Parts: sequence; structure tokens; C-alpha cells
Amino acid sequence: MTKAMRMNGWRFRAVVGLAAVLVTLAPAAAREPAAAERHGADVACGLDRRRHRGREGWERAIPTHVKAHYAGGMGLLSVGCGWDYGRKCRWETDVLVGVLPGGWSDRTHATFTLRQHYIPWSIRCGDRLAIEPLSCGVYFSLITGADYWIREPDRYPGRSYYGFASRLRTYIYVGQRLVLYPKSDGALRHIALYYELSANDLDIVAKCGNRSLGLSDIVRFSVGVKFQLLR
Amino acid sequence: MKRRTDFAPTIRIPSFRCRLLCAAAALLASCRAEYHPYDTRIDGPTGINARNIARIEEACAGRHTLRFAVIGDTQRWYDETKAAVEALNRRDDIDFVLHTGDLADFGLRAEFERQRDILDRLRIPYVVLLGNHDCLGTGREVFAKIFGKADFAFTAGNVRMVCLNTNALEFGHEVAVPDFGFLGRQIAEYPAEAGKTVVAMHTKPFTEQFDDNVARVFQHTIRQFPALQFCVNGHGHNFFVEELFDDGVLYYECDNIGKRSYLVFTVDDEGYAYERVAF
Repeated sequence: MTKAMRMNGWRFRAVVGLAAVLVTLAPAAAREPAAAERHGADVACGLDRRRHRGREGWERAIPTHVKAHYAGGMGLLSVGCGWDYGRKCRWETDVLVGVLPGGWSDRTHATFTLRQHYIPWSIRCGDRLAIEPLSCGVYFSLITGADYWIREPDRYPGRSYYGFASRLRTYIYVGQRLVLYPKSDGALRHIALYYELSANDLDIVAKCGNRSLGLSDIVRFSVGVKFQLLR
Repeated sequence: MKRRTDFAPTIRIPSFRCRLLCAAAALLASCRAEYHPYDTRIDGPTGINARNIARIEEACAGRHTLRFAVIGDTQRWYDETKAAVEALNRRDDIDFVLHTGDLADFGLRAEFERQRDILDRLRIPYVVLLGNHDCLGTGREVFAKIFGKADFAFTAGNVRMVCLNTNALEFGHEVAVPDFGFLGRQIAEYPAEAGKTVVAMHTKPFTEQFDDNVARVFQHTIRQFPALQFCVNGHGHNFFVEELFDDGVLYYECDNIGKRSYLVFTVDDEGYAYERVAF
């Protein structure tokens, strides 16, 4: 990686860091009465405007959103769909397929990821913007390839020679989201831009046994975009 | 005397929210994106062994007395590895450090990078051998990028250090482990300035990783090296001295770094001596 590319990466993170500051501070501004009064029609349903619109029976099986995610231990890029549910759509479950190109590994690998999210709050900041100051969750990511295992190959002696599944990684994450609503109420209900800070199980184990390992040694940064379809 | 406080400057203590925000922003700025724990995007220095071997060969050229430290199996013992580096840095009588392998526990790229960053704080050069844990996932590729080849040799003073990959269980039949072709070339092209030989490996013969079918052939081959002094290895995690083949060649196994010890070997015209040092 060239110095210029590293610098770009740092600037990119700085921009996202600035966005995170805004996402955290904006709810305070949004709670001011003047802001609420300007949008009288929505005041009745509060600052959290997330809600489902008339999906019954089998229609509930239709994914409510699609996502694209950069990095996060799921490959260079992963895409997939998911469902939100529960009161105020606070819960989301996604399935994603990712690719780790051969240029950044021994060969090209695919990843398959199951993600569970909890997004407790959505705070409206005007007609076309909402902020979700906290998203958190857990995800499980599988990688393809003959060199990885769930159950250790038979060539190893004993029942647990290495004692871990190299094919499957478990992650926990926290993040924030910025939700943009389009002008017209079409098939695309909103676009959410988000970032996440995640850590995998093996790194957490390493952190627990070593004081010299800092959080920044095990926490990874990733970004993504969610396209919300009809709810 | 009563102290006046009315002129004291007002220090505004940042709110909890502000401090949390600053901490989060600092964490965000210092984190990197990771495509996968087994990706091979190396952050930081690469080609460590080649660079350090050049330093060792230059610093030790022409000498007949050599002193080197041996550490091994540092996987997931970051605190202890850091302590070992600090202990070795307090000495000024060691020429280089030999790591007998297993920097990584799970073969993750980040594990190699963390260990390299700790070992890079050594004031003296170091070389690293390939351990069996280093072969997991894309570990072999990451090791090759960060450190170098699995089989290598260098000359420190008049001692030829032959460092071998002996982790046969981690390789299929397509890779020769141990590589007798490499050993044959090293014997045939033995440098004129070297007169004594030390053989280093991660796992010694008659362990589950070593290809025991060739154990005696291996021993016969390494004894072809001029004045073979001794062998050093890791993998067993416990200090052990053993004559495996009843031929006078001793195998010295170093503790894992969690036991907070390292070995020091001194090779001179009279022979060699070793010491197990606690830190």
C-alpha cells in the first residue's frame, strides 16, 4: 500500500469520524421544540418514524431491505438482503454473500454471513434525515476454501489439536447510521449509510489474556449502505 | 493561612458525552478496515528475515565467538513476548535472536503483524522460523510476505545457521518437508567463511508434526554439515535437552514464552555453552 493510499484511508476514516460526531450530537438539536413543530404531521408518531406498512401473511417473507458492506471480515465487499421486524423495526436479520479477491488472499474466496442487529432508536432530524445513534449486533461469517475447517481434519491427532474452527468467525459490533429519505414515497423508502466497529472471537480471546493489547489492536472498521424497500 | 480561591482559573471538565465521543473518535481514527482475518494485506514492514540476516552477517563477519538467544512459541503471549524483548534489550552481549516459530496461534494475519511489531522493538536483529500454527489458513503466505522463506540459512561469524521447516503435518505431499533438496544444496554450497553449523527447526524428529519416516535420513543428512554443534527447536513448550539419535547431537528445546525464559548459546573456538535465562 502506498503512502498516498494510506493517507486517503486516514482521511476517509476522519470524514466518517466527523459524521459519527454529527450523528451523536444531532439528536440534541432534533429535540428542540422548534424542530418538532415544523413537522406537525409527524409529531404524532414521535421522533422515531420507523414502522411497517401493511405486510401480512406470506408477504412477510419478502426481504425488507438490501445491503452492500465493505470489509468487516466478510470479504472486500459483501451484498445481501434482510428483514426488519419487531416494534419500531428495531430488529434486523441479514444474509450476505461476500468475496475476498485472490489479490488479497492466497486465492479468491467467498464468504457467507448471517447478521443479527438491534437498532434501539431512530431520531428524526427534519423531513429527509434520521439518525440511528446506536446499532449493535452479532454476526457469523463462513469462508470457503479447502484449507479451512469447522471440524478439524482427521490427520491431526487427538480430538482437539488446534481447538478452533478456522472456517467460522463470530463478530460483535457497534455502529451508527445516517438515514436519508427520498423526496417521493416510492419503492425505495430510504437509504441508510452506516459504519461499524467490530471485533472477532479470536481477537477478543487474545485481548482478554493480554494487557498490552489495546482496543484499537482488535477493533476493525467497516462501512455499508442499506436500501430500505417497501415496509 | 486561608487560601484565596476566587482568582483560580475556571477549568471546564468535559462532559461524559464529550469524553465518550473523543474516545470513540480516537478509536475510529486508529482502526483499520479488515477484509478478512485470513486476508494477506500486510500492514507494515515485510521481508524481515532477509533484512535482519544482512545485519547479522555484517555485524558478525570475521568473528569466532558468537552469542545468540533463542525464543519460541510466542503465540497469543503478547505481554510475555513484550517482556522478553525488554529483557533482551537490557543486555548488550547478544548478537541476534532466533525465534523457533509459532508467532501465530490461529494463523491470522493480525497475529503475525502484532508479533512482528513487538519483535521489531529488539535492538538486535532477529530471524523467525515457520511454526505449525503459522501454517493455518493463509498463515504460510503471510509468513512468507512478512518474514520470508520457510527454509533459509545464513552465516554469523564462522557459524552457519541452517533454519528449516519441519512441520510436515501441515503440508501435503506436494511440498517436501523437510526439504532434502535445500539441505543438499546447503551442504554442497557451504560457505568458506563458516566452519561450524547449528541447525534450527520448529518441531524436532519424533513429534506428531515431523515426518518420522525420514527422521533418520534427516539426521544423517544434517550430520553432513561441517562441525554440527547442536540443534535447537521449539514446539514442545518445555525446556528439554535430548540426544535423539544416540549420535552425540543434542536437541535443545526452548520453553514457550509464557514460561518467561529464553536460551542463550555461546559458540566459540572451544565449543559451545548454553544458558537458560528467566526474565
